[in-house]
Amino acid sequence: MASPVSVYNSNALDTHISSTSRESLKMELLADVSLLPGEERIIDKETMYICPFNGAVKGKVLITNYRLYFKSSDADVMLDVPLGAISRVEKMGGASSRGENSYGLDITCKDMRNLRFALKQEGHSRRDIFELLFKFAFPLSHGLPLFAYVTQEKYAENGWAIYKPVEEFRRQGLPNNKWRITFINKNYELCDTYPTVLAVPFKSKEEDLRRVAAFRSRGRIPVLSWIHRENQAVICRCSQPLVGMSGKRNKDDERYLDMIREANDTTKLTIYDARPSVNAVANKATGGGYEGDEYQNAELVFLDIQNIHVMRESLKKLKDIVYPNVEESHWLSSLESTHWLEHVKLVLSGAIQVADKVSSGNSVVIHCSDGWDRTAQLSSLAMLMLDSHYRTLRGFQVLIEKEWISFGHKFASRIGHGDKNHADQDRSPIFVQFIDCVWQMTKQFPTAFEFNERLLLTILDHLYSCCFGTFLYNCESMRDQQEVRLKTVSLWSLVNSKMDMYLNPFYTPESGRVLYPVASMRHLELWVTYYIRWNPRIRQQQSPVEQRYKELLALRDEYLKKLEALELSGSSPSSRLANTPNNPASSTPPQQYTQLQTPL
Amino acid sequence: MLTGSKTTFKVRQMLPDIKERMLSQSGVNARSRDVFGLRCLPGECVLQRAVMVRKKLTAREGRGWVSGTLFCTHFRVAFVPQDSPKADDNADPVLLGDHDVALASIEKVVVVGPNRTKLVTPNSSLKFTPEELVLYCRDLRVVCFLFDRLTPDAQVIEITYTIAKTYQPPKPGSVLSFQNAALGSVEMKQFLSNRRRNTDMNWFESASDWEQELERCGATGWRVSLVNDRFEMSTSLPRSIVVPQKVLDTELKKSFAHFNEGRIPRWCWRHPRGSDLMRMSSFQNNIYHEKDDIRNLEMILFGCQSSLCVVVELGEELPSPADIQLAHSRLRALCLGDLSTSVSVPDDKWLSTLESTHWLDYIRSCLRKASEVACLLRGGHLTVALQEADDRDMACVVSSLVQVMCDPHCRTQQGFQSLVQKEWVIAGHRFYSRMNYHRDNDKEEAPVFLLFLDCVWQLLSQYPSRFQLTDDFLLALHDSIHLPLFSSFLANCQRERCKRSQNIGQSYTPVNGWRDVLHPDSSSDLSDPPLPSVWDWSLQYSKHRRDRFTQPVPPTHPLQPLLNGNLNTNPDTHRLTDTIPGSVFLLSRGTFSCPANLLPWRSGSSGVYKKSHRRAPSSENVPGLERLLKAWALAEFPQGLTSISGPQGPLDPFEPLLPLLVGPCMGLWRECYLRGALHAQAFSHPISANHPHPVERLAREVQQLKDKLAQVSTSPGLKPPSMMAEPRRTDTNLNQNTNNGTFLFPASRPQSVAMSRAAPPPTSTNHQTSKGATSAPPSRPSHKDSNKHTFLFGHSSVAEARPDQRCYPAPNNAKLPKSNGSSISS
Repeated sequence: MASPVSVYNSNALDTHISSTSRESLKMELLADVSLLPGEERIIDKETMYICPFNGAVKGKVLITNYRLYFKSSDADVMLDVPLGAISRVEKMGGASSRGENSYGLDITCKDMRNLRFALKQEGHSRRDIFELLFKFAFPLSHGLPLFAYVTQEKYAENGWAIYKPVEEFRRQGLPNNKWRITFINKNYELCDTYPTVLAVPFKSKEEDLRRVAAFRSRGRIPVLSWIHRENQAVICRCSQPLVGMSGKRNKDDERYLDMIREANDTTKLTIYDARPSVNAVANKATGGGYEGDEYQNAELVFLDIQNIHVMRESLKKLKDIVYPNVEESHWLSSLESTHWLEHVKLVLSGAIQVADKVSSGNSVVIHCSDGWDRTAQLSSLAMLMLDSHYRTLRGFQVLIEKEWISFGHKFASRIGHGDKNHADQDRSPIFVQFIDCVWQMTKQFPTAFEFNERLLLTILDHLYSCCFGTFLYNCESMRDQQEVRLKTVSLWSLVNSKMDMYLNPFYTPESGRVLYPVASMRHLELWVTYYIRWNPRIRQQQSPVEQRYKELLALRDEYLKKLEALELSGSSPSSRLANTPNNPASSTPPQQYTQLQTPL
Repeated sequence: MLTGSKTTFKVRQMLPDIKERMLSQSGVNARSRDVFGLRCLPGECVLQRAVMVRKKLTAREGRGWVSGTLFCTHFRVAFVPQDSPKADDNADPVLLGDHDVALASIEKVVVVGPNRTKLVTPNSSLKFTPEELVLYCRDLRVVCFLFDRLTPDAQVIEITYTIAKTYQPPKPGSVLSFQNAALGSVEMKQFLSNRRRNTDMNWFESASDWEQELERCGATGWRVSLVNDRFEMSTSLPRSIVVPQKVLDTELKKSFAHFNEGRIPRWCWRHPRGSDLMRMSSFQNNIYHEKDDIRNLEMILFGCQSSLCVVVELGEELPSPADIQLAHSRLRALCLGDLSTSVSVPDDKWLSTLESTHWLDYIRSCLRKASEVACLLRGGHLTVALQEADDRDMACVVSSLVQVMCDPHCRTQQGFQSLVQKEWVIAGHRFYSRMNYHRDNDKEEAPVFLLFLDCVWQLLSQYPSRFQLTDDFLLALHDSIHLPLFSSFLANCQRERCKRSQNIGQSYTPVNGWRDVLHPDSSSDLSDPPLPSVWDWSLQYSKHRRDRFTQPVPPTHPLQPLLNGNLNTNPDTHRLTDTIPGSVFLLSRGTFSCPANLLPWRSGSSGVYKKSHRRAPSSENVPGLERLLKAWALAEFPQGLTSISGPQGPLDPFEPLLPLLVGPCMGLWRECYLRGALHAQAFSHPISANHPHPVERLAREVQQLKDKLAQVSTSPGLKPPSMMAEPRRTDTNLNQNTNNGTFLFPASRPQSVAMSRAAPPPTSTNHQTSKGATSAPPSRPSHKDSNKHTFLFGHSSVAEARPDQRCYPAPNNAKLPKSNGSSISS
């Protein structure tokens, strides 16, 4: 089942250069490409791939409505790039360009790499391939459907069923006598970027919600994301209040926040504004702002996390230092100058503050400007720290579905699915940054997560691929309109059909424990296996511990087999077996075998 | 040098609590048991104690706090957790408990009071009652004690003063009093002198040790020379040096003058492909080269390889000791922060500040150089001679790194210890000066060895499954270096060490048998305590800690015995057959050249060389050599990839572990350098101490299975017990054997070898084939096991060839039972 998918996966994730020299005929270079159901060949062409690591490589490129595939004539170098990962296609050089391989295509990808192909200068050889690539890489700009609507891949699992809002609230113990579930947004009338099912203070009335919505940017009112089972402290999320230059007040909003506070009888509600205070002030000019002193029983904390533009530029700088070449000597200061890890640190430490507040019994409200970027990062990370359910494979899917997808993180704008406008100022790697934060946590707590790094890589690959409907569009109302759940497959269908691949062998369930990662530059690491994975020199080991675990598993199986064989053969063990084992008494040096050790 | 008085002086100055002193005195009689739960060493006095103290646990110890009693003796600051099991009075003394800090490793004492911190010096007075006591240690540990409200204020202040006054402020003499405090008692001296040394490792102290190493490496054509037996040729070289067989001692003697400090080219190691690694100091230039000298020098330099020698100059690209010292002190400052003010580098400048220490750059350059050498050696059949001005710093680093990369044996604990013994301790690394234990020689101080440990850690973290030793072991070694107690590190060369430890008394030499070393002067015997070796781990660490030094189930890759240094079953395609005999190249900055003055005697002025030799070396085979290097630098990264890709395929165990050196692949040894950073306690682990890591659990399970398998498979067969009864008397045979191998009786050696060859039992051919089959090792639990049998039963072949021994080892193995044994047991 699903063999083409597995091929696709292994290619996209693991193979840049396949060292297996499959002997394929030169003519039939592209014969063994396995296409997905619904995938169609568009064009193929003799070309030269200018590999930044191996130099120019002759081969053949194939473009389908889903991918760009290249294989070198000696079958050593292979590329398999989903068209969705392409952010920009440019012509390189002109008909009169001189110099070797100066005429061709330059492709910028969203996943931290660039590709260059050189073509023959004679006869406008690149015109057709350029146009076709441009068309199929950016289908929405050309009136074509995204590939997720074209593919006919089938899976045993239905990933769309993973998240049911009411069920998730029930798991958290909601509704209860302080919090109720409301369907006021059933038709996306209260807020068009929110989900239909919301949890709000029990005391609040529907008209309260409408009045609060009028005072919150884009109607994103404070709603409950998570509730602590014991102390009933909650995480609420929203957008900024529409204070504006004149410093408007809204009694309903003030009372509404106080209801949140009252729900678990804390004396003070903490409002985390993810922005730097300067930005929050600046937002007043455009009608926004932050909660002022008029909010009694509330304290406001700014978390100093920069906006989407800063993050985009930071990741761009990171790409500059990791692709194609990595510096040797000034690596650390270059890394520092990208500030990427520093941003990761600020996001993490913000989430730590939230988690700490909540676990000590205080309810919090989180917002930034619109409440769909930094707010999503903070709430989901805090929930990941607080609730071990979200650290399971399925729980993590729920977390993403809930805090990111259903609450309207603008995936379409931030990623630019199928859109040719590569310089769009709305694009930003906010979700990538979130996954990076999760990765940092898995590094620091290697046994606390049921899923492994591979899941994170798969998620990021399909964030761009447009093969699944999961990350398409900006909000639920759009998704409903586009019938995403009906017409496309969920990424979780793929994941949950092959769960084994994504399981962390070291996972040790331990509920009720809050994880506080160390958010210090001293302990954060660059996620090399993601950001630098295209560099064949660095793409190295799977986790050494995991490898060791596998070795041990193999050893155990082997010993078990041997033992079984011995017990079968009874009293006459073969000489060979007698030869192999240790003699327990004398040959084992005392310090060596008797005790065990964690090679962590 | 009578130091006893000094100690007593110090103690008296301390005004110790009389009652407690008496208690501990009586404890001495009762096998040093202190009533408060601290088990004192014989003669150790408790100067002060404080109850109800809590100690902060590091991430490794499981985090959190543990409460107990804090002691200060004149040797250590000890901490005994409340409910720690009662110490076994009859157990051997352990210098330091798991929670203890030796006074000599304390660098600074800081107390934290209400809203203030204060650096406490011997002369400072406290104006407040400390709430916290923080000990900053030289080994980068930071130990933090918290005083409860229940701790009596007087005790808090007293113990702070006591520690501040007793910890060894760096000054000459303090080391000796410290040593006396630890080891100076009659009981301790007696205990130490009765201590048996670890026989699983090679100490490289006697000629036979070197013989054993030659055998282990299958290095033929070399012999052990005792020409420096009395350190007359070179004061810093060891007694036994390995030189080409064809060079006579009389010829050898003339060559010492041509090298700085007389450190002539000596053999270190043979790669299984037949290349030899040597090291030497720089040439003495202002010396006239006699015709005969030149012949000898060339013979010594080329060793057993007639054709090609590459001189690797270690001066240029590698850090100087001063560089290392500067980098390390910056690293310390960065990791610990400013001790008294607790000001540390702001987090957003951490990376660039770390970079500006250059510590990682220096590690990279050492690893790169070692990788180059490893690649050269892999090419086969050449001599690589490491040359450093004094051959006592970077040569130690590079030669031992090369062996860690290439020789799986060196990645086991015992093998690594032997390696450090060979390339550092015996080779004359100036531990004593470099560690500057006396704080009297700051100019010479340079933690070269710590740099090496970090390099090994980098390899370990990139190839964890190829090591049997663990980072716990490296960390223990790292910490022990800072303790001025071990003979291994308290001298600069073998000669100094011999002078110190005259009471050890005897050494075995092939010529005279057992005899006294350097006229021991029995009058000085009792003044200084005998210093233990650092490898006597049970003296320092609890069993629990020592058990973590090695992986529970060793790496699956077989530790094959070397096949006589000729792993040439698959001959290298790039073999440099076309080399003109006598070619010498210089490797510098990644390129090869043959400068005219490379060998001073060959340079134009003397003129003798040209006549006596066929012709000057052409640079024709430079490309061949460069190809060897390129293998690492460029194309062959998948090699590294496959070699770590785990259990599925058999690999050449001698394929070097070549580290990735680009920025993102070099890590900071956080577990060592950042364990003191209290503000950011490293990796919090959701798994508590009673909840083992899954890998650990699995390893335990595998171990149990293995044991069970061993039981089941040995119990029905009656053979093993009978064979195990075989005494290890053949050790002496081996010694004789190796004696004969020396220059005096070269003829007898082949004879003995022939004898052992003649002995193999009828089944040996069978076994050979089965051995061939084990090149696909996964079919057996581990190849080691068959070695083990070599170790256990190998000797019986010489004594009695029993046809029923199916598990008879191959003759190759039989020849080197002891070395195999060490490779296994390690």
